[in-house]
Amino acid sequence: MSSRSDFARRNRRTAATAFVVVTGMVGLTFAFVPLYTLICQVTGLGGTPQVADRSDYEVSTQEITVRFDSNVDRGLPWDFVPNERSVTVNLGAEYQTSYRSTNLSDEPVTGISTFNVTPIKAAQYFSKIECFCFVEQALKPGQSVDMPVTFFVDPAILEDELANDVQTITLSYTFYRTLDDIPDKEPEFISQADTVLTTAQLGGT
Amino acid sequence: MSTTATHAHDDHHDHAPKGIWRWLNSTNHKDIGTMYLWFSVLSALVGGGLSFLIRLELGEPGIQVFNVVGEMMGSEAKQFYNVTVTAHALLMVFFVVMPALIGGFGNWMVPMMIGAPDMAFPRMNNISFWLMPPALILLVLSAFMGKGAGTGWTLYPPLSGLAGQPDMSVDFAILSLHLAGASSILGATNFITTILNMRAPGMTMHKAPLFVWATLITAVLLLLAMPVLAGALTMLLFDRNFGTAFFDPAGGGDPILWQHLFWFFGHPEVYIMILPAFGIVSHIVSTFSRKPVFGYLGMAYAMASIGIVGFIVWAHHMYTVGMGVNYRAYFVAVTMAIAVPTGIKIFSWIATMWGGSISFKTPMVWSIGFIFLFTVGGVTGVVLANAGMDIVMHDTYYVVAHFHYVLSLGAIFAIFAAFYYWFDKMTGKVYPEWAGQLHFWTTFVGVNVLFFPQHFLGLAGMPRRYIDYPDIFAEWNMVSTWGAYITMASTVFFLIVTLFVMIGGRKSVANPWGDGATTLEWTVDSPAPFHTFEDTPDFTGGNPAAHPAE
Repeated sequence: MSSRSDFARRNRRTAATAFVVVTGMVGLTFAFVPLYTLICQVTGLGGTPQVADRSDYEVSTQEITVRFDSNVDRGLPWDFVPNERSVTVNLGAEYQTSYRSTNLSDEPVTGISTFNVTPIKAAQYFSKIECFCFVEQALKPGQSVDMPVTFFVDPAILEDELANDVQTITLSYTFYRTLDDIPDKEPEFISQADTVLTTAQLGGT
Repeated sequence: MSTTATHAHDDHHDHAPKGIWRWLNSTNHKDIGTMYLWFSVLSALVGGGLSFLIRLELGEPGIQVFNVVGEMMGSEAKQFYNVTVTAHALLMVFFVVMPALIGGFGNWMVPMMIGAPDMAFPRMNNISFWLMPPALILLVLSAFMGKGAGTGWTLYPPLSGLAGQPDMSVDFAILSLHLAGASSILGATNFITTILNMRAPGMTMHKAPLFVWATLITAVLLLLAMPVLAGALTMLLFDRNFGTAFFDPAGGGDPILWQHLFWFFGHPEVYIMILPAFGIVSHIVSTFSRKPVFGYLGMAYAMASIGIVGFIVWAHHMYTVGMGVNYRAYFVAVTMAIAVPTGIKIFSWIATMWGGSISFKTPMVWSIGFIFLFTVGGVTGVVLANAGMDIVMHDTYYVVAHFHYVLSLGAIFAIFAAFYYWFDKMTGKVYPEWAGQLHFWTTFVGVNVLFFPQHFLGLAGMPRRYIDYPDIFAEWNMVSTWGAYITMASTVFFLIVTLFVMIGGRKSVANPWGDGATTLEWTVDSPAPFHTFEDTPDFTGGNPAAHPAE
């Protein structure tokens, strides 16, 4: 049988290992935040489209329809609509379309958009070359601008037996006010406590 | 933590400290276990009371209870209904089931089962327990602060963010879970060290009792899962208070990220709640069948594989977020794979009973009740594992019925089974058999009347987490609320009888269950002396408890 000090040392070593595991798991949790973004970009998880410099592909005779969708967060006083509802393009061909944003307020406002495509399985074949969504957009009071987006659909989609049934891809944007631009509302938040939302109002979770 | 009998105060065998300091400063695994059990009972009274309010409200269509309760609490009916659902869930998970199974029975029995004098780190054991009351206070306060935290136990943003719950109630709930998580991590470290290093000589892991195995695996799961919850909660706290945007798309975050992190913790968490129950039921079935447990190694490794696979199935909770079909196929397949080790356990319990000399004493009927009800909950779990089915049933009462069958009727039945099994050992009193049987049968009828109709409601499309419902759901909701009345009456009966027995019950013996009880705790007196196994028992020649004197 081991002596008491051996015994205590062994216990301390086990406990130290356990705390290393705990610290490692906390670290992994935070490391998962950038990793998650990366996984989405690489695999198209959640409908994240690809980013490319230009289309290197031969233009295929096969056509596909791309629909354009727009949403505005209620915190952003903008009007934001696609200039065309849908186009039919050849696979591999670059196409440029645009969305029109109008600042409806009487102050300068900065917005940023998130994006995805559906069906989700088509995301890894949908590549953007240029997009207003890559950077923040600032609009002066009442200003209206056309924001371009250039994209192509990778002809490899035809070889993916799970995705080659896709006839229509929907590209969707949601515009938010950037966090830095939100007016300092701290005191207001506390006084607005009476307007707390219920689960039902938010559509359930 | 002496392993030899030379230490001076060991000579005073039952010299427990007196008064409040015995409990506040306790480093004794039995006293800490007792405190965990009382703490769990206290939380269960609050958490159970809240669920009774929910059933009262849902007993008939319309809003008739929470308009009054919500006003009393300075909130309004719908928000406070959500607060009640949230508090009920968090209380039951973190403050009832975990403290009872791990902190309570784990602390009491694991050191005795392995022949150790106490836990490896008795003072750390003290802080593990005493972190829990402040955590409970913070959680209760969260219901009184502002409008309360009406987020559901899953705390999904944006509802749990500033947009959904702008006042400080959610921050209180987050800090409460941080404390409870720290307590669990310290407790898990203690159990792992105790079980790995302090087993009696000759007791290899392959000879350790199954409850010891269950506690070890649970502790490992806690160690891996709890830090993920802590990290995610910290991000949520920062999003709410310090302007970060981990889960806010306006700042480049993603609310789905929360769901991944939460369920990476949340799914192992459900096994954390049920694995100790598996261990307990194995002992009870073996004891009352007078047979060693069937397929001991298979039982141990089934628990281990459930624990491991439990970490790679999390996204079956979020089939509806818009997941590619390949990902869904993967999560369906691995989720269903868990039914295999679970089936090994169910069939091994039945095989243990097969050909045994069964006596249907109170702990045994609770264990058989556990096996039956857990199987029902497992079957609905296999149904829900299918992504195609889940998209229809997601967030309906079918899901509510499923997880109450495995937790409310599974884990809670195992807690009662363990309570009756070890009552003599912990209190030195005999629990009257008729009272235990009556408690079992009334609870069994009550909870089935309560939860079985919820399958029908869910299949008919009734969504969960709403205060009201269309009249078409009225009948089965009424039946369900009758079940709550029966269960409530049964629980009150149990509490009264238990108080009487603890004050005036008959004196019990060291081993009231006979030859079938072969673990070491039955070799010491009842109630177990303040200090046990200062002379380490020797397992090298076989189990010294296998042929008890009585």
